[in-house]
Amino acid sequence: MGRLFSLTYPTAAVLLAIRHGHRYGFDVMDATGLPDGTVYPILRRLERRGVLAGAWEDEAVARAEQRPPRRYYRLTPVGESAMGEVTDRFPVLVRLFDPGAGLAR
Amino acid sequence: MNAPGLRTIAVASRLVPAARRDAWRREWEAEAAWAWRRLGRDGADSAAARIRLRARILTCVIDALVERKETMTMSGLIDDLRFAARGLARHPAFTLVTVVTLALGIGANTAVFTLVDDVLLRPLPFPGSDRLVSLEHLGRDGQDELPISAGLYLLYRDHAGSLEAVAMHTGTAANLVTDGQPERVLGQSVTPGFFRTLRVSAVLGRTFAEQEGAPGAEPVVVLGDGLWRASFGADPSIVGRTIQMSGVSRRVVGVMPPDFGFPDRTARFWVPLEVDETQAPLGAFFAGGIARMAPGATLESVRREAEDLTSRLPELFPGDGGAEFLRGVGLRPRIRSLKEQLVGDVGRTLWILLGTVGFVLLIACANVANLLLVRAEGRQRELALRVAVGAGRVQVLRSFMGESLVLAGVGGVLGTGVAASAVRLTSRMIPADLPRLAEVGMDARVWGFTAVVTLGCAVFFGFFPLLHYGADDLAGQLRDGSGRGSTSGPARHRLRNTLVVAQVALALVLLVGSGLMFRSFLAIRAVDPGFETENVLTARIIVPSGEIEGWQETMTLFRQLRERMEQQPGVLAAGLVGSVPLGRGGVSFGGLEVEDHPRGPNELPVFALQPQADAGYFTAMGIAVLEGRAFEPGDGADGVRAAVVSRSFAEHWWPDGSALGRRVRLGAPDEGWYTIVGVVADVHDRALEEPPREAVYFPTLLDAGGPFAPARAQDIVLRTAGDPMDLLPVLRRELRALNPRIPLANPRTMAEVRRGATARTSFTLAMLGAAAGIALLLGLVGIYGVVSYVVSQRTREIGVRMALGASSGSVRRMVVRQGFALAAAGVVGGVAVALVLSRVMGALLFGVGSTDPVTYVVVAGTLVGVATLASWLPARRAAAVDPSGALRAD
Repeated sequence: MGRLFSLTYPTAAVLLAIRHGHRYGFDVMDATGLPDGTVYPILRRLERRGVLAGAWEDEAVARAEQRPPRRYYRLTPVGESAMGEVTDRFPVLVRLFDPGAGLAR
Repeated sequence: MNAPGLRTIAVASRLVPAARRDAWRREWEAEAAWAWRRLGRDGADSAAARIRLRARILTCVIDALVERKETMTMSGLIDDLRFAARGLARHPAFTLVTVVTLALGIGANTAVFTLVDDVLLRPLPFPGSDRLVSLEHLGRDGQDELPISAGLYLLYRDHAGSLEAVAMHTGTAANLVTDGQPERVLGQSVTPGFFRTLRVSAVLGRTFAEQEGAPGAEPVVVLGDGLWRASFGADPSIVGRTIQMSGVSRRVVGVMPPDFGFPDRTARFWVPLEVDETQAPLGAFFAGGIARMAPGATLESVRREAEDLTSRLPELFPGDGGAEFLRGVGLRPRIRSLKEQLVGDVGRTLWILLGTVGFVLLIACANVANLLLVRAEGRQRELALRVAVGAGRVQVLRSFMGESLVLAGVGGVLGTGVAASAVRLTSRMIPADLPRLAEVGMDARVWGFTAVVTLGCAVFFGFFPLLHYGADDLAGQLRDGSGRGSTSGPARHRLRNTLVVAQVALALVLLVGSGLMFRSFLAIRAVDPGFETENVLTARIIVPSGEIEGWQETMTLFRQLRERMEQQPGVLAAGLVGSVPLGRGGVSFGGLEVEDHPRGPNELPVFALQPQADAGYFTAMGIAVLEGRAFEPGDGADGVRAAVVSRSFAEHWWPDGSALGRRVRLGAPDEGWYTIVGVVADVHDRALEEPPREAVYFPTLLDAGGPFAPARAQDIVLRTAGDPMDLLPVLRRELRALNPRIPLANPRTMAEVRRGATARTSFTLAMLGAAAGIALLLGLVGIYGVVSYVVSQRTREIGVRMALGASSGSVRRMVVRQGFALAAAGVVGGVAVALVLSRVMGALLFGVGSTDPVTYVVVAGTLVGVATLASWLPARRAAAVDPSGALRAD
């Protein structure tokens, strides 16, 4: 079965970051430490492939902070199913985000 | 809120495709706003942090660029296509004309390619088929095409080291009585090695064992899948059972797979061909020869070995008269690949057809290209707008390509539909002698071909607008050409004129081709076949030896049938002949001796057709008796040795005197002489295109010791007062009354037989004619389109001219002259191309040369005339221009 996207190290990092609740573009940059210019292209590509889904933040929250609503990303079912491969191929990366996860998983 | 970096985002957002731009910008602005706010709130607001954040916001340019690139390559194409489709839907007339034109063009190409692929390109359906060769022979410097004889078969089988397996095959037929109804089934007699040579095996049981071809072996049969299903209900226990075929009990030893057939799938069973190795005649050519080359052998090495063997015949068969005879006729083997032999000269016809429909497609594409150019000019305002709002050159050009792709795509899809029905239709009208037709069908290769052709079309006519607007300064061009402006700007029109000239030239080539074909067709139709074709019915009657054994009883049956038929109302005459002329049946052709022209030791024997005919034949067939008499009922039967010769034979041997009373004889000296009692008109026996061969007719009813084996297969010929087919039931009834188990085969009128003989020519003519007709129509549409367009563009100029005193007549002439010039240029180019290309048609022509001046002049004149007419309509419109109106309009 052909995969929808190539699972590179940066891609895996972005997926893991979103899985762990870093859902906004800049948050993903902070959480992964990837070079700033690389994160958004990855997000866009994963969204186009249906691995991620983007949505706008609740307007009330944004208004309370007097800023425009941000756009957040979450894993689609496709993205969820890709996580297994992420943990298989990048076990060390997984432990960076989730120190409790054992290597044996 | 005016956080730093928002301007950067706003500028970068222009790079993002418009559809996504707004959302993109809002996302970046929100992130930036949030980040600045957090920077202040977290108290981490250092100069370094601010610089880092600015740098981060600056990366939105990367995001924007990547976004732009992705959309262009990914959904960009889809968008282009969708946009193009929407644009085309708004111009249904243009779209319909274009799509229909393309569908016809692509469909015709697909259909013809299907034939070419199946007949010419695909290998024969046997394992290792490229190692199969056919064994044929030529005599008298190629004048005689001879298949193979049993003696030569044994020679090759036993002595040719370069051949791994050799086999003979010949058509046969059997009467199979199922449920009391006699049925005539076609099959083949083959030497036992036939299946081994082709490397095919039975699905049930086995094929023949070597000893089953020896004289006296148990009669066996291998059934074809079709016969096994139709007559034996696909009963698997058939193997080992004995069935009755033509009165002979044959044991079924095997059943072949459904797709097996050679040379085509008409054979429904196979029986062993008996070869008596002790006395196999060298000179009796009666069967087709096939062989498989041994490993390492090449066509060339097989040829050399066969030539060597045949040249040593007298030495290999000392004392055999046949060997001397073959040396006398200068026998040479002709070894060809089996596929080449099967396909024969059909290849040329098919390639010409493919070229023809290819031309039609080119013309169609040129037309579409011209229409697209017109459209592109009409779209200049829209395009200028797109350029103004920032569309790049590439995007504009891609929108042209999108349109071409949509048009070609729809045309291609409809075209496959056209092709599918065309293949179904033509497979019915294709001449019966087109080989391998049963195998014709559309498959992945054909689809692939269609896809490539479709894409090629799109590129071809999408290319011209690109050429036109592909110059560097697109925006400038679009601005300049936004309306009337420089109307006759030479560069603008040169492209369109070139396309039209090319169209006319291609149309001329096709018209010349079909014109030549038409003249050949007329010439063939004008050929006097030497017999009457109207109101003549013929049918083949074969008496199996299992049904009636003795030759005398057989002859009695034929005679009685003829006598009964003669008495039927509506029958004017009835006769019998071995095989009717042009009927594709075999006629014996061989050596003779003429009494008053004894043959010298180094002379070739006299060759002539040797048909057998009976008393009623010449009258029934309407063959004129020029001198003496036709056969009479007594000839032959009671030892009256009478012969009738054709005019060319008589003139050949007795140019100054009468042939009557002279004597001829067949073969060996101990044969008696036959006295010539009559001279009849020449008959085209093999093809209307070939000159009649000299013929010596012998009476049908010969005594048993005669030179002919008793003729068990004869064609009955009935001349009728009314519709010949009305007598078919009568013929069946009378035959059944004589013997109910003898079936009637292949009933036809002689008019049908004659039509069959011209089928190849009329088929090619029909195809070429249709193609040329379409080409002419498209060419005219092209000229009409260009001239009208030019007129519409020059309305203002024409108005000025008329205001200055030009008469409407002079305006009309000016416009017509333009159409004429285009047509004339096309004709000149076309004639040059046609002179070269028509040479490949030479072999298909009859009675007309490939450079026939009449055809060229008529076609060129017609084309110029019609093209001038096509520019007449726009000319009239131009002459009706109202000067004041034309000048006032912007």
